Amino acid sequence: MTKSSPFSVRGRHALVIMRDEREISIVRRQLSRLGMSVTESDPTRLAPPDGPADVIVLDADSIPIKSDSMPAWKSNTPVIALIGTETPSRLKWLLDLQPASFLIKPLRSAGLYTALVVAFDCAQRRFGEAAYVEKLEERIRSRRVVFAAVLQVMRAHALSEDDAFALIRQTAMRHRTTIEQLSAEIIAVGGMPNRTSRTA
Amino acid sequence: MTKPSVPLGLVFSRSGPYAMMAREMEKSALMAVNEVNESHEFDFTFAPHLRDPGGIVPAYHTACDDLIREERVEHIVGCYTSASRKQVIPIVERTERLLWHPARYEGFESSDNVIYVGAAPNHTVVPLVKHMLEHIASDVFCAGSNYVWTWETNRVLREIVTSAGGRILAERLLELGETSVDHIVREIVDRRPPVVFNTLVGESSYVFMRALHAASVRAGLSIPMLSCSLCEPELKLIGSAASVGCITSSAYFESIEGPENRAFVARWKARHGSRSNPSVDGQSTYVCVMLLARAIRRAGSTDVAAVRRAAANHRYDSPQGPVWVDPDNNHCFLTPRLARSVPGCQFEIFWEADAPERPDPYLSNLDLASIGAKLEARDDGPTKRPNHLRVVK
Repeated sequence: MTKSSPFSVRGRHALVIMRDEREISIVRRQLSRLGMSVTESDPTRLAPPDGPADVIVLDADSIPIKSDSMPAWKSNTPVIALIGTETPSRLKWLLDLQPASFLIKPLRSAGLYTALVVAFDCAQRRFGEAAYVEKLEERIRSRRVVFAAVLQVMRAHALSEDDAFALIRQTAMRHRTTIEQLSAEIIAVGGMPNRTSRTA
Repeated sequence: MTKPSVPLGLVFSRSGPYAMMAREMEKSALMAVNEVNESHEFDFTFAPHLRDPGGIVPAYHTACDDLIREERVEHIVGCYTSASRKQVIPIVERTERLLWHPARYEGFESSDNVIYVGAAPNHTVVPLVKHMLEHIASDVFCAGSNYVWTWETNRVLREIVTSAGGRILAERLLELGETSVDHIVREIVDRRPPVVFNTLVGESSYVFMRALHAASVRAGLSIPMLSCSLCEPELKLIGSAASVGCITSSAYFESIEGPENRAFVARWKARHGSRSNPSVDGQSTYVCVMLLARAIRRAGSTDVAAVRRAAANHRYDSPQGPVWVDPDNNHCFLTPRLARSVPGCQFEIFWEADAPERPDPYLSNLDLASIGAKLEARDDGPTKRPNHLRVVK
């Protein structure tokens, strides 16, 4: 995932999955003004073309709701949905694609840049949030380890739970490691690891 | 003195996949134009300009663009499918023209430049599903054509049915025009659902109804069928045996009592032959032209803004009963009706609303809780509570 600003769209690549020739020409012209390159794909194709794209511009009305090709369009690439039909059945189909932004048809040249910026920003945030969630999940997974280490230290040093945890936290800080890592060491060696020197 | 002439665009696909319906609609539009032109009640005549987009979606844009630029029309009557209407909306909005749209559709749209004369979903699918839940069954097998009308109609069906504790047993879809129906018929005969909801359109529906009828006769089955779109000319195409017994929801049937409809049917038969029957979409197209003519007369002008204002809340006693435009959403107040198809390719109406119902294109007034509660009250059993008594706890 690129770390560049969502406002700079030049040089990025769009996959355009649309049917209406008039609307395709509007998108093509506007994207080229913005310095983006474009690959066009027919919505009736079962799978999108290979090769990476930074954004997918998808005409939501061009693919049947009950369609076998649906899973092929699911990817991590941000999707800009072009919406003509606002029926809940169509919108539900669209929500499953998790569009990063959308435009209402008929298209005009105005609006596409905003949709791109929102899509790139949204993709970046999603990427950041996914990494953050992964970190939190890792913490939850190691809670059992930390708890076991606290019990061990309580028993070995006759400490209260609060004091045992404080000791582990201080030691982890001193050793420049995480509570989770130190806890794993405590369990592995059966007590506070015998580190004589500070690592710093 | 000759009357001034008002150019009127008529956009119907006389060729292509739904030519049969579109021809009925064009015939009805021309009949209304003829009546307006010969009537001393109107101080203008319509000059109809016909366009045939051939059922090709982008051709609707071209046809309307041409009507507006070349023929200088301010008002267009036409379109049948939602895809075609969505092609026309950008042009009529940009050029401030009015599209008078005759066909029922799935709702969730409200353009200032369209007058929606066909039924909204609260006029069609909602009363049909309520009837099904109250009188037939709460578990239903769906067969439909794979496009927006079926998707959205089935969604509404599913929402109402599941909130009332029922189930969608299956949802089988065929591509538009597809006539390989045997696998669906076989599944229905095998599973014997209490009711089949049919949103197939055109030839797919006719073939399906014939095949299911034949298979049901062989298996000694009688499974009720529901439709939101069947009309008299289609009953003829299906054939008298297979078309009988389908419970259909519509704002218009040829069998509506009342002097306006009796006179309309008589004029229709005089014009198109005694064996010809008006259809819901045809009648609605006739109503479009008449609503437009009356609004122009009332406004004293063909100007779009003036006509739109004049059409609002202006009651017209049409063949299908009183109709008027709701200025809140440009859809029409219509009377929903339920009927059963009977031998002779006609419908026998067994229910109609007490009064024309306000259009609700976004179904924002659909009260699912009250439908479910009504059913629960019914399920109290044989000692049913008289409904004029209030429960005191």
